[in-house]
Amino acid sequence: MNLELTIAQLSHKVLKKFGRGGSLPGQLALMMDKQFISHFKMPKIVILVTGTNGKTTTSNLIAESLRDAGLKVINNHRGDNLNVGIATLLATNSNANYEVQADAAVIEVDELTLYRQFANLHPTHLVVTNFFRDQLDRAGEMETIIRKIMEVTKDFEGNLILNGDDPNVLRLKANAPKAHTYLFSIGENEVSQKTTDEASEGKFCPVCGKPLVYDYYQYSHIGRFVCPNDGFGKEEYAVFVESIDYEKGMFTVEGKPYHSFINAIYAIYNCASVLAVLKSLQLDYAHGDHVFEHFELNEGRDEDFQLNKLCTINLIKNPTGANEVMKRIVKEEEECNLCILLNDFDQDGHDVSWIWDAHFERLKQPFIKTIVCSGHRAYDMALRLKYEGLEDCVKVIEDAKEACAYLDQANLRSYVLATYTALHSTRAILRKLVK
Amino acid sequence: MMEIRILWLYHDLMDLYGDKGNIMVLKTRAEKRGIHCFVDTCTINEEKDIASYDLLFLGGGADHEQNLIYEDLLARKEAIQEALAKKTAALLICGGYQLFGKYYLDQDGNRVEGLGIYDYYTESSDRDHRCIGNIAIEATIDGETFKAVGFENHGGQTKNVATPLGKVLKGHGNTYGDGTEGFVDDCVIATYMHGPLLPKNPRIADCILTRALNKKGQLQGNKLEPLDDSLEQQAQQIMLKRLGVA
Repeated sequence: MNLELTIAQLSHKVLKKFGRGGSLPGQLALMMDKQFISHFKMPKIVILVTGTNGKTTTSNLIAESLRDAGLKVINNHRGDNLNVGIATLLATNSNANYEVQADAAVIEVDELTLYRQFANLHPTHLVVTNFFRDQLDRAGEMETIIRKIMEVTKDFEGNLILNGDDPNVLRLKANAPKAHTYLFSIGENEVSQKTTDEASEGKFCPVCGKPLVYDYYQYSHIGRFVCPNDGFGKEEYAVFVESIDYEKGMFTVEGKPYHSFINAIYAIYNCASVLAVLKSLQLDYAHGDHVFEHFELNEGRDEDFQLNKLCTINLIKNPTGANEVMKRIVKEEEECNLCILLNDFDQDGHDVSWIWDAHFERLKQPFIKTIVCSGHRAYDMALRLKYEGLEDCVKVIEDAKEACAYLDQANLRSYVLATYTALHSTRAILRKLVK
Repeated sequence: MMEIRILWLYHDLMDLYGDKGNIMVLKTRAEKRGIHCFVDTCTINEEKDIASYDLLFLGGGADHEQNLIYEDLLARKEAIQEALAKKTAALLICGGYQLFGKYYLDQDGNRVEGLGIYDYYTESSDRDHRCIGNIAIEATIDGETFKAVGFENHGGQTKNVATPLGKVLKGHGNTYGDGTEGFVDDCVIATYMHGPLLPKNPRIADCILTRALNKKGQLQGNKLEPLDDSLEQQAQQIMLKRLGVA
């Protein structure tokens, strides 16, 4: 019997009794023993999921697919992806001898936590979704993160599930010669473009430094690229999405149709990574499709609230994610109001300059009536829009409650875009306004 | 009609932390005053007559990008010196600031040569002394003194700065815990302040526009017409208050 583990498990039971969750058990254990995570006897399958965007969704899709295949799976489904969240997940799912009671653990891991905990977690799989610019003041430059991850994967002998359409992710393949690599990729489809104004990374070959040539872009710097100098980017894919039918919300792999849980290219990348995991485990793709068909996104991701008129809330935390959310709003061409909540607490990143790298000019549409700027950095957001010439539709309401009430009373379809720390409090406000 | 010609150097590589917002602010503030603003770009191996522009802009980049551009930049040293001799205005942020000095010594001890136009030089700090966070300074440009805010995020410690842009009110500045920030002379404004710099500091933006117009004597001793900066002032005040230096 071990004191740290007992305390973690007991505190979890107590919290549960009071209807509370959270990462306190892991926090307590880590306070007593910094090496707490390294003590666990991990299950046979340990799948770590990291990357900038889509970690929570991807790891939930993988966990559900494995459950569909009949495995007992544990996962940090709420996206608690730092040390304390991971410690809590393991402590609350193991016996008194640190043996994790599951067939598989699917663990979402923050990009910076990954290299610290990689060896401790004994992964059999590492899934990397993508690398975009994100919360730079917290994370350091993206290059530094990739290098740190490469340091821990260079001797990895497990399965690497990589986005073959992201040059920053593909770098990991050549660097990990002992690993079994499964690349996923999406072919040219109706959203693919020959040129882009979105790609801020991926301009240069990570091997030789010469410019990469893109055949097409899917979004941001994700697309079909090759280095004319050394051939970086020429690959065979384990999972290749041949076509996408956005009308029906379906995509095709090896001639067979699969469902997409939302009708967006980034979601289909999430699905493709899940199929690659299934392939590596020699499990049927059908387990993935069962999940894709009925999957509900995490709270605050494309979540609807019925106010006087419909209101949809989305998380925005970096330029690429924000661009994709804006594309979906603009596609509707429906008269609407927006509220953008910009905070700058630890989990949001203290530096809000990323809003200048996102394409807010896309909101310059006759059908977008008012854009309410709210949150701790409401005026920074307002300035961002002002310098796109959107001055006349900007309204600053710093208080989130008042901002939501404004949307409700305006009696128009609305969208809320909130940074991490504003997301859940704003959901609570919207819930109270539901008719 | 008055006109400003801006040359944005390495726009495709040196564009960290939303620095492109500075160009948007300069262009908008010129156009609101009926001044035509032409923004041209110049990347590696591109031929441009640098001295013919009124304003040069060079933003910050990650180490990788900085290494890609520096040879190309050094090859333009004479052209840049000619531009500055002709009173071309320049705004340099972070990496751009460092590259105008003597050299940059990175974490592994590699020495990256700068243009050497100024005597300051930059040495990488150890991990515990990276300067990160919101910063407020009292800047002095062309005899005017006012407060400015930004966000700094740099490991490089810039030393031997003869004429700093300002005095640090809160934050770090040129070196960890130092009292000064940036560099200024009668052409160049150089700083570690991202944010980006200009949206919340319209006075700096107008100083730069004034310098650019004065290169060819377009303002004829007049001042720029004032604009409605209430949003800008609110945003700046909120940050100054939060930093306790309002």
